[in-house]
Amino acid sequence: MNRYCNQVLALVWKDLAIEIKTKELFSSMFIFAALVILIFIFSADLSVVNAYDVGPGILWVAFVFSGAIGLNRSFMLEKENGCLQGLMLTPADRTAIYFGKLISNLVFLTVMETFILPLFMIFFNVDLLPRLGPLALVIFIGTLGICALGTLLSSLASNLKAREIMLPILLYPLLVPVVIGSVRMTSLLLAGKPLSSMINWLGLIACFDIIYIGVSIMTIDHILEE
Amino acid sequence: MTDDAVPSDSAIHVKNVCKSFGLLDALRGVSFDLKKGEFLTVFGPNGAGKTTLIKILSTIARPTSGTAFVAGYDVLQGDARLRNEIGVISHATCLYGDLTPFENLVFYARMHGLNDPPGRASQVIEEVGLKARMHDPARTFSRGMLQRLAIARAIVHNPSVLFLDEPYTGLDPHAAVILKEHLAALHTEKRTVLMTTHDIARGLEMCDKVAIQVRGRIAFMDRVGNVDRDRFERFYFETVENRQKT
Repeated sequence: MNRYCNQVLALVWKDLAIEIKTKELFSSMFIFAALVILIFIFSADLSVVNAYDVGPGILWVAFVFSGAIGLNRSFMLEKENGCLQGLMLTPADRTAIYFGKLISNLVFLTVMETFILPLFMIFFNVDLLPRLGPLALVIFIGTLGICALGTLLSSLASNLKAREIMLPILLYPLLVPVVIGSVRMTSLLLAGKPLSSMINWLGLIACFDIIYIGVSIMTIDHILEE
Repeated sequence: MTDDAVPSDSAIHVKNVCKSFGLLDALRGVSFDLKKGEFLTVFGPNGAGKTTLIKILSTIARPTSGTAFVAGYDVLQGDARLRNEIGVISHATCLYGDLTPFENLVFYARMHGLNDPPGRASQVIEEVGLKARMHDPARTFSRGMLQRLAIARAIVHNPSVLFLDEPYTGLDPHAAVILKEHLAALHTEKRTVLMTTHDIARGLEMCDKVAIQVRGRIAFMDRVGNVDRDRFERFYFETVENRQKT
């Protein structure tokens, strides 16, 4: 178990080291998410529509679409110079490779979301600070779902010819339950409802997270194999 | 762990291995045995199935049928212990361009579960003569230097079996000579090497055994001492031509 954890951590350390040097993922995801919010700001007249009603949807559109950029890059990085083959040649369990990439993606998306939230607060004039704790939990389980499924599909798409196109085509329809649940919970939180009133939504997203991770554990061996 | 039919001194034991990709038969009943410490060079034209053979022996791909044992472990089981016993050097370097040689090797050493990854990384970097550049990004390296770094990556965990898949691809003559010296140093009594190439001169220089693989089959195999270089070259081209026609 200790060795398994070390291998997962080694993968995360490697991905973070590359990202710290290149800043490719963060810059592309952040710029895309910021642009989404900026475009919606100009399209929605906030003197007419309630920012608390439209804001959550816009926020999650920014998270999901910019997240797909990061997820797409996740396994493409491993395909360059045959690095995925190098990983496969190590004694690491295939699920360790999956969890390493999942945690890396989770860290990248969480950092991007941390920078996007203040922008969202400023542009939509929404005060998130009183509900930051519950909101952080909602964003975390929603992002976990995006990363759990996205990491699996990224590994699948990396073996396909039209890999940049295939990931969004596969990812977005399967993410619908998680995105709907996350948007709904974010709306309820902004409306001042307590987290205890949305336990069904919370359970639904947690179930989907578990299903995505479970399916990934069962299939990653076959997906990574040539 | 070890099958009854596998000789105890065998490092690589392959029996009737077949691999198909849809209608294409990449390997058609490959069988051979390589003892511990031996060096086998497999010659063959493009599409002969040499890379597929190495991918199967290194557990990257599964055979359609047949059995193969490497370092006593069944490749079909995909045992993690088997992957600790093998190192692969191919034209793909398996290195991260944005990381330095030191970072690349520390990463692979950690993935192999070594006790002192930084210490071992420094040691193998020195062995392949890249100490002066160990903190420069790997993407700034020449093809020859990358291939030496790929050797360091493949031996960081001190494997007992090495697979060299067309290691000279894309190298200029000078870099190829340097690489040959490093590859020759890797072949010790305790380490078994299987190399694929279509470069006859270089392939014959270091090996104990030679084989010719054409269209997924081993068409010829003998000890290098029984082979005359000029006649072997003629024989190779004739065999390839005849097999390609059929």
